[in-house]
Amino acid sequence: MDKPVKKKKLGLKPRYSAMTRGLSWDTTYQDMDKVFPYDQFEGIKIHDWDKWEDPFRLTMEAYWKYQGEKDKKLYAVIDAFAQNNGHLGISDARYVNALKLFIQGVSPLEYYAHRGFAHAGRHFTGAGVRVAAQMQSIDELRHYQTQAHTISHYNRHFNGMHDSVKWFDRMWYLAVPKSFFEDAYSSGPFEFLTAVSFSFEYVLTNLLFVPFMSGAAHNGDMATVTFGFSAQSDESRHMTLGIECIKFMLEQDPDNVPIVQRWMDKWFWRGYRLLTLVAMMQDYMLPKRVMSWKEAWEMYAESNGGALFKDLARYGIRPPKGWDDACEGKDHISHQAWGTFYQYSHAAAFHTWVPNADEMQWLNEKYPDSFDRHYRGRLEHWDKLQKKDERWFNQHLPMLCQVCQIPMVFTEPGDPTQISFRETQYEDNKYHFCSDHCKEIFSHEPRKYVQAWLPVHQIYQGSCYPDDINPESPGDSPVREVLRYYGVVGGQDNGDFNASQDRRNFDAALGKKVV
Amino acid sequence: MNAENMDCMTTIGEYRFPTKDAEKKFFGNWLIYIAWENHLMFCAPFCLPLPTSLPFGAFIRDVLPQLYGEHPEFEQIDWQRVRWYESNEEFLPDFGKSLQQHGFGHKTLIRFETPSLEGSRSQIDSKKMAF
Repeated sequence: MDKPVKKKKLGLKPRYSAMTRGLSWDTTYQDMDKVFPYDQFEGIKIHDWDKWEDPFRLTMEAYWKYQGEKDKKLYAVIDAFAQNNGHLGISDARYVNALKLFIQGVSPLEYYAHRGFAHAGRHFTGAGVRVAAQMQSIDELRHYQTQAHTISHYNRHFNGMHDSVKWFDRMWYLAVPKSFFEDAYSSGPFEFLTAVSFSFEYVLTNLLFVPFMSGAAHNGDMATVTFGFSAQSDESRHMTLGIECIKFMLEQDPDNVPIVQRWMDKWFWRGYRLLTLVAMMQDYMLPKRVMSWKEAWEMYAESNGGALFKDLARYGIRPPKGWDDACEGKDHISHQAWGTFYQYSHAAAFHTWVPNADEMQWLNEKYPDSFDRHYRGRLEHWDKLQKKDERWFNQHLPMLCQVCQIPMVFTEPGDPTQISFRETQYEDNKYHFCSDHCKEIFSHEPRKYVQAWLPVHQIYQGSCYPDDINPESPGDSPVREVLRYYGVVGGQDNGDFNASQDRRNFDAALGKKVV
Repeated sequence: MNAENMDCMTTIGEYRFPTKDAEKKFFGNWLIYIAWENHLMFCAPFCLPLPTSLPFGAFIRDVLPQLYGEHPEFEQIDWQRVRWYESNEEFLPDFGKSLQQHGFGHKTLIRFETPSLEGSRSQIDSKKMAF
């Protein structure tokens, strides 16, 4: 009998190489271009895929082990949180509305990212980038799962979280994140990586995750902090993939530079517009505040992002076109967004409120140039109405931007008293935009954006009513019927926080006098 | 194609899909966008489906109060002094003529300015409503 030969174990680097790129081969029965048909049509020229530097050296085997450890810890925390009624330890029931926004608007993007990276992980010719994209695809699926599991505990005790998947496909404000990601993953694989890995993960991710996770920590939500930590270690890998992909494209061919520049212009702006929701959450929805949106923008975008674009200048890349306008908006967008949700709160799936006197003072301190001058007046007016039992809700539907799909709430750069309007004619139709940058995105790809599913227009076309409603005459309360189609319970999942079941239940559970 | 549309889309094949919001999809109405300039208590301009035959006078009398009536300055508007714009072009409305007779179309934007009622442009110390 032969004695089995004991093979020498490979070192880390050759092992990584053998277990990733080593598993790939060049096809011979079929032309490689036919096997990988989607990575050339965007115009990006790649001469040598071997020049791709793997941003992280992780084999599948190590990946499972490492992620398994993290999951064990996370689920132990989630269990402990549930057993100890952790939801009663949070600062204030208003805080839960930040979680609602997260499960409604952010978690579905994790799932979309999973799908997008699965597609990219199949369709790049280079094995290195395929492996990176495949691993990220699995990360994103896991993020969606851990978020859904963590937040499901809150779902047992609070409204506004019971049907988030359906809402993502139907509700007006969730069309903003949904259309962002559908735009990204219906593009080619290089643009997808520029959009998600670079603009979103590398340039803007800190502005998304830090406010939510430190907001959770400050407001006593340890379960969310833990899923944040669990995801954060993956995010650093994702960011590395983003910057590596950009450098690879820029180094492979000078013809790639203008294409990449246009994508950066587009995706910086689209990401910035999407983050309006985060800005609002940060300044208005956290009972215990961490830092203002303006401070976060200055730290994570202006200083970190500024350094990044200085670094990329050697490739002939300049900062994105919308950069200055985005910096100018830091004084305004959170207030504009909260005012929007305050007045359309009866048509959303979370609660809103007028900030109390201390909170207004904080807003004034953080926004000395804008809050008192432009935003305090309307909040105080609404507060007065509410004290007379006339809580104001805006009953008519707003005009939307054709590209970002946000209601046209943004003001002219340099003039916060004036809504910013842009428009263009394409073929026989008129299209309206919130900014030069959304308009330019449209102008580059009008055939894509004429298809936009704008929630307000869809309601008027009759696409958002339950089956028992005649869309031509929806009855005395079209909004009520639309909410029925959305699957939102009016007055329970939405409306003012002060009158909410969430508030009553929370106060009762803490033994507070129920008003 | 309009000169400012520089279509540089790259695709994997024939790519042409109908516009989602064509005029014919709104049951005979036009979508009309309406903005009261500098009155930002209403977070955004409105979007309404309106009959093309709606007279401008009825638009002022029946439509605008529903949209903007809750603003404290609305009652003070002197409609003879209001300045009207179709997007950026000023026009003089004829209250008896319809939206169609004004030359408007599907997705027209109508903006109006109310002199002396300045909304968000008011000074906040003047006891006016600066929103």
